[in-house]
Amino acid sequence: MMKLFSTVYKELLLLFRDRAGLLVLFLMPAALVIIVSLVQENVLKTTGEIDVQVVLADRDRGAVGDAIRKGLAEAGAMEIVEAGRGPDGGPGAGLDRDGKADDAAVEKAVAHGDAQVGIIIPAGLTRNMQARIDAQIEAAFAGKPASEAENVSLPELRLYFDPLAQGSFRSAIVNAIHRIILMMEMEMKAGAFTGAVRSFVPEMSDDWGSGRLLDLRVERTGRGGVEKLPTSVQQNVPAWALFGMFFIVVPLSGALIREREDGTQTRLLTLPVSYGILLMGKVIAYVFICLVQFGIILLIGIYVLPLMGTPVLEIGSSPEAVAVIVLSAALAASGYGIAIGVFSGTYEQASMFGPVSIVIAAALGGIMVPVYVMPETMREISRFSPLAWGLNGLTELFVREGDLISVLPEIAYLLLFAAGMLGAAWIGFSRRRRF
Amino acid sequence: MAILKPFEENAEEPCLVAQDLEKSYPSAEKPAIDALSLSVHAGEIFGLLGPNGAGKTTAISVMTGLLRPDAGAVHICGIDLFKRSKAARKFFGLVPQEIALYPNLTARENLRYFGRLYGLKGKQLKERVAESLSIVGLSDRAHQRIRTFSGGMKRRANLSAGLLHSPRLLFLDEPTVGIDAQSRNMILERLLEMREKGVAMIYTTHYMEEAQTLCSRIAVMDGGRIVAHGSPADLLRGYPECRDLGALFLHLTGKRLRD
Repeated sequence: MMKLFSTVYKELLLLFRDRAGLLVLFLMPAALVIIVSLVQENVLKTTGEIDVQVVLADRDRGAVGDAIRKGLAEAGAMEIVEAGRGPDGGPGAGLDRDGKADDAAVEKAVAHGDAQVGIIIPAGLTRNMQARIDAQIEAAFAGKPASEAENVSLPELRLYFDPLAQGSFRSAIVNAIHRIILMMEMEMKAGAFTGAVRSFVPEMSDDWGSGRLLDLRVERTGRGGVEKLPTSVQQNVPAWALFGMFFIVVPLSGALIREREDGTQTRLLTLPVSYGILLMGKVIAYVFICLVQFGIILLIGIYVLPLMGTPVLEIGSSPEAVAVIVLSAALAASGYGIAIGVFSGTYEQASMFGPVSIVIAAALGGIMVPVYVMPETMREISRFSPLAWGLNGLTELFVREGDLISVLPEIAYLLLFAAGMLGAAWIGFSRRRRF
Repeated sequence: MAILKPFEENAEEPCLVAQDLEKSYPSAEKPAIDALSLSVHAGEIFGLLGPNGAGKTTAISVMTGLLRPDAGAVHICGIDLFKRSKAARKFFGLVPQEIALYPNLTARENLRYFGRLYGLKGKQLKERVAESLSIVGLSDRAHQRIRTFSGGMKRRANLSAGLLHSPRLLFLDEPTVGIDAQSRNMILERLLEMREKGVAMIYTTHYMEEAQTLCSRIAVMDGGRIVAHGSPADLLRGYPECRDLGALFLHLTGKRLRD
């Protein structure tokens, strides 16, 4: 046991004295998680995946504005900012400070990305709508064509979108506004019609126009009725933490190759200790480093990123499952590093192959681009990436409130991968010694 | 593990017996070592000489258990190296040709680590580390990292790591290559002192005058076989036309370049 602990201590001592290695292991994933989370936070806003800001300039102050406010609030994931006021009631960014936001100010706010959608409701819009409906009803009862109502000008609602907003997001917003207006039209027409026929049917109520014919129920698929999309932080913290953990292949394989090249391995192999113990010491040391790495990135997600405007990292309700899956991923990363160290002929080979293979596995595993946007073939291939197993497991825990049982397959894959890599490395090492 | 006691208890038993060792590498036309047999007793320095590719390093690798032979046996202090390798390894030390130390650890940290792997601990470990560093004159540099050492200091530190557990048998693979005269002189003096204490040594070198001064017996290898064997004086007596070991070496192995 003392030999094992001595090896663990020696590996940690060597790592702490390797400044370049420390930068790769700690600074790189920390920088990546901060940068990518902040970048993705903005991307998610422009795709409507997270709360978007809608700046509303309501000069009408009538029923249309109220209906749009209510409709957008019911749609969820939108924060309505009245033009000229920010979310806290203060001046809105990019808008004029006197509360009289003009069209240019709304347009500017959206163009600058201060809000993702701008809506301008011109003065008199509700009145104009009502006038057109009254004219249409009157024309209908008088047996005149609908074009008779055209002398009342067609009211116009104006929408502005962030230039970066994606097509599907624009369509969703436009459709939502259309739906709100159609409902309003329906109710106003029903009211006008009821008023027109009330002399014939006095008991007729005017609320029939707002009666629903069909209900739409959206079922929750998450556990316990919780359905959430991963926030930029929930996506990026586990993703880049796993990426950083797997980057230990560089120092780990490098340490093995250096030992082989500088003759230290020769000395070690003549000592009265099994080389398996020495390898185990390396694995334990690097697993420890992986856990520290993950812990640091987790703390960044909880305490640092929120200071920069992102949501706080939520890690779900099963921290013990998080610990098991992170430990499994750390073992997989260490096993891979040992295998690369054994099978690479030179340090140059390992330092090229190791990082490139990790970047490929990360790309396949959904670290950089979510797996669901990949083509079918790539999605199939991604099933074989250890980073995908780790990320799927952590996403299950962080976002879908999963538990240890629900991530058992991912844990099993990671542990099998670790065992496979270590087994292959041991066979390769033994074959090399025989010759 | 207790430090191994001085060898006089079993002075009659050879520290190393290698019998009929054979080793061929895949794709090689000729065996790297062929029918190699030798024995080394306590207090004896056995010089293994030969041109590049003669099989010296393979022979040391097999005799230290780094490589498994195709045939033959190795006994270290009476223990079969390939059947009870862990037990046998306690009795010998290796000073490889490379500086087999961690450059980013200090000399003391390196020795402490290797000492623990030999099973030393506590006060015994501390004393052995201090003594090993003292033997090679590095006590006042113990806190410095190996990468800051000069070539001679690295060679001396490399030697000290092989002495940590007071081995009965020491394999030295060109321990003085590429160092200044002072460091070389110190290493040779220390080896002679250890010989006096009964430590057996297998010594490879390309410096013939070094072998002539230091070695009790010499084996000249070529093509994987021992082509001549005996004490330096006996060997020179057998070849009166050779005035020294260097001339004898060229006489036995030829002047053809081997690289």
